[in-house]
Amino acid sequence: MRASSRLTAIAYGTAGLAGFFALWQVIGHYQLAGLSWPPLTAVLQYLFDPDRHALFLRAIDATLRSTVAGYLIGALTGIALASTAYTLPVLQRGSDRFAAVVNSIPSIALGPIFLILISREATPAGVASIHVFFIVYVSMSSGLASASQAHEDLFSALGSSRLKRFLRLNFPSAVPAIVSGLRLSWPAALIGAIIGEWFGAPRGIGILIINSMQNFQIDLLWSAVLLAAMVSLFFFGLLTLAERAAYRRFR
Amino acid sequence: MTGTAIAIEHVTKRFPLKGQSEGVLALEDITVSVAPSEFVALLGPSGCGKSTLLRLVAALEHPTEGTVSIGGEAPGSLVARHALGVAFQDHALLPWLNVRDNIALPFSLASKPVDREAVRGLIDLVGLGGFETARPRQLSGGMRQRVSIARSLVLSPEVLLLDEPFGALDAVTRRQMNIELQRIWSRQRITTVLVTHSVDEALFLADRVLVLSARPGRIIREVATPFDRPRDPAVMRSAAFHDLVDDLTDALHPTEATTDAS
Repeated sequence: MRASSRLTAIAYGTAGLAGFFALWQVIGHYQLAGLSWPPLTAVLQYLFDPDRHALFLRAIDATLRSTVAGYLIGALTGIALASTAYTLPVLQRGSDRFAAVVNSIPSIALGPIFLILISREATPAGVASIHVFFIVYVSMSSGLASASQAHEDLFSALGSSRLKRFLRLNFPSAVPAIVSGLRLSWPAALIGAIIGEWFGAPRGIGILIINSMQNFQIDLLWSAVLLAAMVSLFFFGLLTLAERAAYRRFR
Repeated sequence: MTGTAIAIEHVTKRFPLKGQSEGVLALEDITVSVAPSEFVALLGPSGCGKSTLLRLVAALEHPTEGTVSIGGEAPGSLVARHALGVAFQDHALLPWLNVRDNIALPFSLASKPVDREAVRGLIDLVGLGGFETARPRQLSGGMRQRVSIARSLVLSPEVLLLDEPFGALDAVTRRQMNIELQRIWSRQRITTVLVTHSVDEALFLADRVLVLSARPGRIIREVATPFDRPRDPAVMRSAAFHDLVDDLTDALHPTEATTDAS
């Protein structure tokens, strides 16, 4: 029963994807949207052309480095600030507001500030970390508060110290929420890195996108966008698996 | 009986409520004393404040008026010494720990080395041998409550507090759990307070049953159970048991006229 419903879901998903690609191909092939919409096969041919492997790998490498760096910085900052605010309730309201304010600044506006504060190489990671920070902060905060009253009472009646309560109850209770936050913040990190690259990074997927757009290299533009989507989905899929494991373990 | 294990003296508890300066009166002028190694059941309708009374003993709440002391100590200092065992209606097992580690949790919260022998003994005592590495979600409701009972006993507490531990179980399992709890308790005879709304459960398990009225909670009846220990489940079929059930059921559900008068 469960296996068959899962199979149906996979079948629907595959059919949807196939339909999407077919539509892309048809529109491109008959130039229904003009010259700037190439058929899928042309984009794939361009993307997987051995002559361009080095170009694309270099771009992926640079963007992934920035994304992962920003992802780790943002996640650790979010987890640390949420944990501190939870253990010191005086800080809770202030740090909630701080996180909300940081999140409300458009990252495109933050770029130039990062550019002058840090370097153009580090700007992509900086913008990515801001995106990740807010999502992880919010999920960690709600996760820490998610232990049931019965569990809190149990720890009180057993004479638990605050540190032990945090380590043995609140933190493990928060793990599923943290992992969900980490999953959701991966695409945000990648977007942050790509935007950050537009402020003058030497290489990266974002650079391919902006250069090909300015030079009207249609196939390159579409290839870079497809590449960004593939990188995003690949890691998003891995994190979804991690999330499932965390839910099995901690719930 | 010699000495007093738990002394609740003239305790009144009000909870603040918006728009009411007086607050809600949950308990009014309650005086209860529990002797060492005595098993006392607090019986009452839901919302009568019996759980609140238990929470006062566990230092989870503080009385508005009056005092609670355990062997001359404040409840808080008993808690700080990790000398209290508790089991609630919500089993409150940690879902990420297996049966063995859930039962061993109080050791780690008390910063004591885990007594593997004690944990194993309790697993056998509550009949969960073979389930040591199972997770709570793999267990039935009755099994989870057994784990919760074992956890409450693992530090050999001076006082055991049970708040409707079997309240969420079906009637058959509940009866079975009562028989097992009676067997376990008769071996250790820890000073125990049980909160329940089941007359049978109170009579079968306790040495003394106190009946609380609803809103505000007051003690309206007190009955010492005349049954020997260890108790055979056959006690529940005796005439004396049935008479006491009728008696207490009557005390629990007074006629409309008396309710209106208050």
